[in-house]
Amino acid sequence: MLSVKGLRANVGENEILKGLDLEVGPGEIHAIMGPNGSGKSTFSHVLSGREGYEVTAGSVTFEGRNLLELEPEERAHLGVFLAFQYPVELPGVNNTYFLKAALNSIRKARGESELDAVSFLRLIKEKLKILHLDDSLLKRAVNAGFSGGEKKRNEIFQMALLEPKLAILDETDSGLDIDALRVVADGVNALRSPERSMIVVTHYQRLLDYIEPDRVHVLAKGRIIRSGGKELALELEEKGYGWVLEQGQAA
Amino acid sequence: MNGAAPTGFETWLAARADGEVGAGLDWLEVQRRNALQQVRDQGVPGTKQEAWRYTSVKRLLEQGFARVEDAVTALQIDDIEELLIPDLDSHRVVMVNGRYTPSLSLLGDLPKGVRVTGLRALLASDPDALRERLNGVAGESQPLFAALNTAGLDDGLVILMDRGAILERPIELIHLSVGMDEPRVAQPRHVVSLADGAQATLIERYVSLGESLYCTNSMLELSLGRDAVLKHDRIQVESPNAFHITGLYLSQDAGSRYVGVNIGLGAAWARTDLVTRFSGEHAECDLQGLYLAGDRQLMDYHIDVDHAVPACSSRETFKGILYGKGRAVFDGRVVVAKDAQKTDAAMSNKNLMLSENAEVDTKPQLEINADDVKCSHGTTVGQIEPEKLFYLRSRGISAPLARRMLCLGFAEEIIDALYSDALREAVSEEVGRRLETAPLT
Repeated sequence: MLSVKGLRANVGENEILKGLDLEVGPGEIHAIMGPNGSGKSTFSHVLSGREGYEVTAGSVTFEGRNLLELEPEERAHLGVFLAFQYPVELPGVNNTYFLKAALNSIRKARGESELDAVSFLRLIKEKLKILHLDDSLLKRAVNAGFSGGEKKRNEIFQMALLEPKLAILDETDSGLDIDALRVVADGVNALRSPERSMIVVTHYQRLLDYIEPDRVHVLAKGRIIRSGGKELALELEEKGYGWVLEQGQAA
Repeated sequence: MNGAAPTGFETWLAARADGEVGAGLDWLEVQRRNALQQVRDQGVPGTKQEAWRYTSVKRLLEQGFARVEDAVTALQIDDIEELLIPDLDSHRVVMVNGRYTPSLSLLGDLPKGVRVTGLRALLASDPDALRERLNGVAGESQPLFAALNTAGLDDGLVILMDRGAILERPIELIHLSVGMDEPRVAQPRHVVSLADGAQATLIERYVSLGESLYCTNSMLELSLGRDAVLKHDRIQVESPNAFHITGLYLSQDAGSRYVGVNIGLGAAWARTDLVTRFSGEHAECDLQGLYLAGDRQLMDYHIDVDHAVPACSSRETFKGILYGKGRAVFDGRVVVAKDAQKTDAAMSNKNLMLSENAEVDTKPQLEINADDVKCSHGTTVGQIEPEKLFYLRSRGISAPLARRMLCLGFAEEIIDALYSDALREAVSEEVGRRLETAPLT
């Protein structure tokens, strides 16, 4: 589904990704762990098409398409979704209006009919129910004045609505207390499906207590230096990144 | 009345074949003569004058606008159907080229103590009702365009409300401009007077049929008695070739409250002067504005708030969206008199620039002569933040739509202050439509 080969990317003069390889199959959940500065967020941003990154080598193929040549919205149309580490506040932009514009933009790009107000609200209610959310956030401006937990829940809610094929969760656990983390993880788990792959980017193992990955990768200095099953996360938790970094250098 | 006005404005005041309205009223003749003298004395404003520093009247003068002569009588209600806002339940007054047009108006039943009538008609039937009110707020000494309006006084709307009278439904004043064979100038003059405790909503809309070239020089005198409340929405969507001038003069007695929302979207050249003065304590004045300016468009706002007495509050919140080669001016001035302690004044002007070629001159000024006051002012000129744009695009929303959503989000605060949902929707749609084709360079 997603194939990343030898990806190199710069921010300004600095090379952040230095030959990253990753293969994600349909329905798989991959965790990417790594210390600060390892390139985790850069990788998420390059996948979603954020400006400010220069890809110098390698390829990213998503369902046979070269993702790197597409605009951010085109990637979204194909089914790529980024849950932001820091969801952006949009004062004055109503959340319901935003969600409808997003969903209908994607439907339109796929040649599907746009949803009218009634069908849209029905769909929204259904998704809220799955995620056990109340509808108070619909009336507010997108993320404006939201607490950290509300922002992350709003990200997962968007994901539920837009039904991506590939969801990238960029440090979704950052800034959340344990209760908020559980709510968000429950939401993510409710959206697991054989057609939906996920890349869970995180610094800490604790998120993976709630979202169980199929594969765990350790990213350091712009490369994946080690991959394994979910037990790798536990080992990292126990021994720290120092251990795997040393091993990586030894190898 | 022809002859000696300075170059360019003679045609504005050319004598009418059927004579001047209210001819024979001595007090009115004196006011007219006085105004004409002021027009002559002031001459053509130049950019050396502070009030005209950023705006040239050259383009306006070049058009050689002729005074509107005859009333337009051919229009039927069907002709203006598309200009009406469905679901806006109002007492409707339509003025065509500056002339009150009863056949298109729908006043309906007015509550007791409320008088709504044309200026021309009132000057004929009960001129004394206007004697103290005409120029009662604006005063004898008037800037050029106000003086021109007074000198060329012809018709307008008069709203007189008795003590404690309350209008449940808004009065909607539709200024309709229809192109004539040659470019014309209309100078409507409105008088709104709310006695103590009266409450009303006035919605003014400046619209046109077609894209013709004309000029509107509109002047309003509003006076609010003690504890009176006026909500005043002004929506200017003149023809893209039009010239628009508004001089709004407001006087507020103790405890009164005025909320004015100024939406400026149309016209090639638009100048708005909002002048307000407090005459009693604990009055509140809330002036808000949203303007869009694109290619060949100028939006010029001048605000003058005079805190002459203590304990009043004023808010000036103006937002602009500029694109293409659009230009805007915001010149806001708040003066707090020496004795006006406990004044609370806040002025803000924020501008969103969608193009590098757009230009805004913003100049908020506070002149504080009292020491126990709360006053602030702030101004920003910025672009759409890339993170916001990316956030929307990452959700599948195209860059142009995302930009439009962010602009509307920026404008929302002002649009939200409009009278009703029907009005908010109409304005949002109009803003969206303009942004859809807005050039980004």
